[in-house]
Amino acid sequence: MSSFLHSIRWRIQAWHGVILFLAIGAFCVTAYHFAWDHQMRRVDRELQDSEHLLIRTLMDAVKPDKESGQISPEELARHLRAGDLTLPPDVVARFASNSYFSIRDFDGRILLQSASVPDDLVFLPPPKTGFSDDSRAVGLRRESLRSSSRGFSSVIGRDITRERDEMHRFAWLLAGSGLGVWFLGLLGGWWLAGRAIKPIATISRTASRIAEGNLADRIDTTGTDSELDQLSHVLNRTFDRLHTAFERQRQFTADASHELRTPLTILLAETQRMLKRERTPAEYQEALRICHDTSERMRHLVEALLLLARQEASPPSTSDAQPCSDRNTVVHQSCNLADILGETIAQLQPLADARGIKIETHLHTASCCGDRSSLAILAANLVGNALHHHRSDAPDRSVTITTGYDDELVFLIVSDNGPGIPVEDQTHIFERFYRVDKARTGDSAHTGLGLAIAKTIVGNHRGTIKVQSVPGAGATFTVSLPAAS
Amino acid sequence: MRLLVIEDDPALQRTLAASLREEHYAVDTASDGAEGLAKAREGAYDAIVLDVMMPKLDGWEVLAGLRPAVATPVLMLTARDTVPDLIKGLNHGADDYLTKPFNVDELLARLRALIRRSAGQTHSLIRLGGVFLDTVGKRVTCDGEEVALTPREYSLVEYLALHRGEVVSRARLYDHLFDEDDDTLSNLLDVHVSNLRKKLGHDFITTRRGHGYSIT
Repeated sequence: MSSFLHSIRWRIQAWHGVILFLAIGAFCVTAYHFAWDHQMRRVDRELQDSEHLLIRTLMDAVKPDKESGQISPEELARHLRAGDLTLPPDVVARFASNSYFSIRDFDGRILLQSASVPDDLVFLPPPKTGFSDDSRAVGLRRESLRSSSRGFSSVIGRDITRERDEMHRFAWLLAGSGLGVWFLGLLGGWWLAGRAIKPIATISRTASRIAEGNLADRIDTTGTDSELDQLSHVLNRTFDRLHTAFERQRQFTADASHELRTPLTILLAETQRMLKRERTPAEYQEALRICHDTSERMRHLVEALLLLARQEASPPSTSDAQPCSDRNTVVHQSCNLADILGETIAQLQPLADARGIKIETHLHTASCCGDRSSLAILAANLVGNALHHHRSDAPDRSVTITTGYDDELVFLIVSDNGPGIPVEDQTHIFERFYRVDKARTGDSAHTGLGLAIAKTIVGNHRGTIKVQSVPGAGATFTVSLPAAS
Repeated sequence: MRLLVIEDDPALQRTLAASLREEHYAVDTASDGAEGLAKAREGAYDAIVLDVMMPKLDGWEVLAGLRPAVATPVLMLTARDTVPDLIKGLNHGADDYLTKPFNVDELLARLRALIRRSAGQTHSLIRLGGVFLDTVGKRVTCDGEEVALTPREYSLVEYLALHRGEVVSRARLYDHLFDEDDDTLSNLLDVHVSNLRKKLGHDFITTRRGHGYSIT
């Protein structure tokens, strides 16, 4: 029952039935009224003809006395009162069966009337001047009434039982055909409603299949550009986005598990090998060193993964009006990129010294709004990346770091004169686990996630990160963030 | 037995090679797909351990470059453990498949089985007259008595036993018993053969002058 009431098809059908019923009903009632009106006007014309005939006959009866000229109503009334007027038989016959007439004086005296006259005749009261007339239905009779101020009152009527019966038949016919049309309309409506919701059923089936895990399935949108097709397009776009996000997540999980499996394999293989037989202390030491390095590598990887997950959990800010306003997940505060870079460089200076790389700085005040710790990670990743990718044998190695304002933006530029990035890799370097030097260096801090984390942080701060590189002539990473207002 | 390990991760490559060498295999290594493919085409290997995710050429491309010209058994190592990946590996000419992380003993057992099957043997215990060769325990018994062999001597016996009936040339023996870093002296093989004859009987290994050695 509930499914019956909740079915769109049934609800459309019910509304359609009610509205169609009202429309057909209104049409039938109007048609009946027009037909009845038409009938009555016809009867009225008939009565008028009879009245004219009667009056003319009476006039003709008066005329023999007065040779010519107009006969006034008073004169006619006088003749009538005198009772010296008789009607010819054909006129009397006309009022014999179901018609009647009655002419009376104002005091109610009958001047002339037909053979059968109903008892309940009502006459119009005499008007002050001129004539008054009216047509009205009295029970099953139609009467034409006339009253003259200087003469008499008359009623000419006839029985309309036949017309009424005809109209009854017509009403039944109307009701019957109206019901027939209504029924056909209901059938058509049921078919139309079914046709209209058929795409919904298709959409629903496809969506169910997608929900069951068939993520690549899409709604067929080969139809015309109807509202439901537009809905299908919107849904398909949504499914596409969800699918892409899901695939990215799946790829990330697969990559992460792959990246974790290799060090895990090393740990297992090395410990298993060591435990097979007695070893010298030097061998144990070597094995422990391998296990330690591998564990460090896993620690860096897990930390980077968690960092990335945390950064991705903080949604990109949406408020443009107040860049420093409170946000839900990340507390944004006013930060000076120059200060952050200064701290980062102080931390990485020992690494740069160890590698013999000169760090040049042009740190100008660059205030932006953001999460200080995230921006510090961004800075450390970019500078660390530049330090790590220098070839150890090249002379005059340097990393140049610049911060400052550029119109409405603050920028951070980290450029090195290292080996650069091959053109085919430049579009991929911000992808997770993408390594330009695919032969892993064994450097435990190199997880393949640094630039992905940097990109996510920049995205969370509504900024952009770009790389320019000529292979062999160094690489330049440019970060632009909205400046603090 | 000489193996090729194609693995881009230096730490894993080192550990795998060490584990295999301790099992008396001669082991060559390659750090990327291109180097691995070149070595696999050139060298005489009894089996190849091939990582899937590698720079330059990945495992699939290496496999495609090897087959069908090179019939050496290939065991793929991969971090992907889905059934489609497994099927893809086997369909592309891999002989076996291990998912990281794996048990090294399982890797060793699978390699033994691969080498044995490619030599046409069906059991890990090989009987040669009164001599029994246990390819799992790497032990040799002669008339019920265990005979102490050096790793190289054992490898020599195992290689000849797996290819019993064939005359194996000296060059082929050098190829399969020493890895690319071993300093091979021209008379090293003669020393081993002479020691084996002392331990297992003079007729155990037959010398075909100008052709090589065989066990019948």
